Amino acid sequence: MMPSSSRLLVLRRSLLRTALGIAGGGLLARSSLALPDDDAARDSRLVEQLIGRPAVISPRVHLSMPPAFANGYRVPMTLSVDSPMTEADHVRVVHVLAPKNPIIPAAEFHFTPQSGAAVISTRVRLAQSQTVFAVAEMSDGSLLMARSWVKVDINGCA
Amino acid sequence: MADVQPRVQAPVSVAKDEIFQVRTIISHPMETGLRHDPAGQMIPRKLINKFVCRYNGAIVFQADMHEGMAGDPYLAFNLRAAESGVLQFAWEEDGGAVFTLEKPLTVRA
Repeated sequence: MMPSSSRLLVLRRSLLRTALGIAGGGLLARSSLALPDDDAARDSRLVEQLIGRPAVISPRVHLSMPPAFANGYRVPMTLSVDSPMTEADHVRVVHVLAPKNPIIPAAEFHFTPQSGAAVISTRVRLAQSQTVFAVAEMSDGSLLMARSWVKVDINGCA
Repeated sequence: MADVQPRVQAPVSVAKDEIFQVRTIISHPMETGLRHDPAGQMIPRKLINKFVCRYNGAIVFQADMHEGMAGDPYLAFNLRAAESGVLQFAWEEDGGAVFTLEKPLTVRA
């Protein structure tokens, strides 16, 4: 993690705390935070910052997560990429990014042609409701991406 | 840590070229280094930062895991059956400890 972005995160946390304080019970803050803010251009920039190249949103990448999950400590996730998984054409790695977690990269899954199918099921932590990204790096170098909005009620990173 | 317990569920016998699922879990707190204890002291980071699956010695699947992975990291992934042999699983913890497990695999012609 780069020090500059961790400073940003601290700032974001203190802003959030202020917002929650102003809203009293936190109801107002929650309703504004829960809006799925869909902004493909911003998401693409974020991927470029973290991985070095922009990714295109692709129907070949499937990121399946519950739209709402009470407990941010263990949010189930299944991701798969449509690929023949041959030597010539396979998925090399899939990055999982949680942009509103204190530390954005959650995991990288490295596949090989011996994987047979680029499928992985696991569980992640989410600090707050957010859009989670899966970015697949294919053997030809292209970057394909899928996104999934998850609303959580309990901070899983505290 | 005595309570770190890796477990793997994989078939013992598969047909050649069959794609089969392997499910793994390891009991581990996945301490992120972002939490404080009741006295206000930072609890140091201790994660399982890497999981590697080898099939007859060759790496066939690997996961690099960071703070955003849940405690007791669970991974279910697929493999393609090539020839009979052994599946080796290794979990690497911050600080260098490695937890391993092996499963024999029979591939039917």
